[in-house]
Amino acid sequence: MESDLGPQTSSRDRLIFVVFVGAFALINGGLILSGRLPTNWDGLGLILAAGISLALYSFLYEDNALFKFAEHLYVGVVAAYEVAQVWYQNILTDVFNPLFRPAAEVGPEWVVLIPTLLGLFLMTRLVGRGVWLSRLSIAFIVGLGSGLVIPRRIASFILQQIGPTMQPLWTDGSFAIDAFLILLGVVSVLVYFSFSFEHTGVVGGVSRIGIWFLMISFGASFGFTVMARLSLLIGQLTFLLEDWLTLDLPLW
Amino acid sequence: MDRLLNIDRRYIFIAVFVGVVLPLLIGFDLPIKPTKNVRAMYDTIEGLNPDDGDTVFISFDFGPSTITEMEPMARALLRHCFRRGIRVIGVTLIAEGVGIAQNLLDDTAAEFGSQYGRDYVFLGFKAGNEVLILNMGQDLPGTFPTDIKGNALESLAVTRDIKSLRDMDYVIDIASGYPGVDEWIQFGQERYRFPFAAGCTAVMAPDFFPFLQAEQMNGLMAGLGGGAEYETLIGRPDKAVAGMRPQSVGHLVIIMFILFGNVAYFAGKKNRS
Repeated sequence: MESDLGPQTSSRDRLIFVVFVGAFALINGGLILSGRLPTNWDGLGLILAAGISLALYSFLYEDNALFKFAEHLYVGVVAAYEVAQVWYQNILTDVFNPLFRPAAEVGPEWVVLIPTLLGLFLMTRLVGRGVWLSRLSIAFIVGLGSGLVIPRRIASFILQQIGPTMQPLWTDGSFAIDAFLILLGVVSVLVYFSFSFEHTGVVGGVSRIGIWFLMISFGASFGFTVMARLSLLIGQLTFLLEDWLTLDLPLW
Repeated sequence: MDRLLNIDRRYIFIAVFVGVVLPLLIGFDLPIKPTKNVRAMYDTIEGLNPDDGDTVFISFDFGPSTITEMEPMARALLRHCFRRGIRVIGVTLIAEGVGIAQNLLDDTAAEFGSQYGRDYVFLGFKAGNEVLILNMGQDLPGTFPTDIKGNALESLAVTRDIKSLRDMDYVIDIASGYPGVDEWIQFGQERYRFPFAAGCTAVMAPDFFPFLQAEQMNGLMAGLGGGAEYETLIGRPDKAVAGMRPQSVGHLVIIMFILFGNVAYFAGKKNRS
């Protein structure tokens, strides 16, 4: 299946493309004629969803125009959906209505203008001469963000983690292997990442143990990553087999 | 041997595809043993009292790209809550989660005859990420004066007496990225100290084990496997359990390729020496 063969490859790829599109059209035709796919907007939606899924998966063979089209379509649809959601659930309810359609007894909420202007100033990054205004918004964001994040991060990610690391190694007369492994892992990995001294002798030995702990954790992460990616594949294949091809898949 | 080591990756894609499709078409049973972290979530919800108006707050922070992993666990969680009569308040911190969360809540509630406003409420989405969590922790009605349908929170039975996240009996974040579990722990649980658990994609799960150990959260559902365990616990096997068959076979295929690659590498090394 090597593909770097010049003109022969491109005519073969064109043939594969035509066969792929033709097969897709034939399958949909068969599904519609047999009544398995409804001839309404739902049916069209299923055909579109299946076609876009297969177009995206066609990247596994080779980058192609169908994949690029589906990719750009996805980006455009998501952007439009997000704009609509942000407009209806944020800008309309928190900016437009309080300013221009306030409750009669309350009146316009002018304080809303402050965050609105800061948000608009950020947009000036797209305009050459007004860029300096965006620095006001960025300064506010950085200052607020630092003030909010730094103490919370230190408390949650460092201070709260120190306690469970310092568990007693002997409890009720028995050796707590879990606590020992945690202590060994934390200390050895910290030693591995300490580059102020040479990793030789005892320090080198502890550092090697740290490498093993890191490798084992990377292996566990890889396993979970494989599981996550396979799950996404399973979901898409279930959609294609069950919803598009209307096969009866055994549930359990 | 070098040819085997440089096999075209599209053969591997085909093998994985076959390994996933065949178990989908052929049904067989696989035992699913719930783990301690998922059981802890289940037991916490089992321990809530519907007669006292106990309320679970669920943040649906995932979009269409991870719906396969997250929807089954969210649905199993909601089924458990609605079956027990526990009130549910839903929110989402990401814009593309609105439609997904709303459909999930409405569809699952309909299975149990749960009523909007009396048994569950969906607040919708607001931008703000961490700041939104902080605001909800301080003043929920101030952050969301109305729900997604425009009803004032004080007019709904579920939210009438709720002032902030501190009034929730359990807060669960089902997240696939940012904002997600990290933000809920830093700006929610750490500050307001409510009981907290999470569901996440499998790829993120190893990052959250330290929080379980530090008891910053009491339970974690990791990916489709976590969803399958929860479905098993509530006695309602569904898409997550069905997904475990192709998941297991797919993993076996990948393990075979890894072993094959290692054998070919060491055999080739021996030949070269």
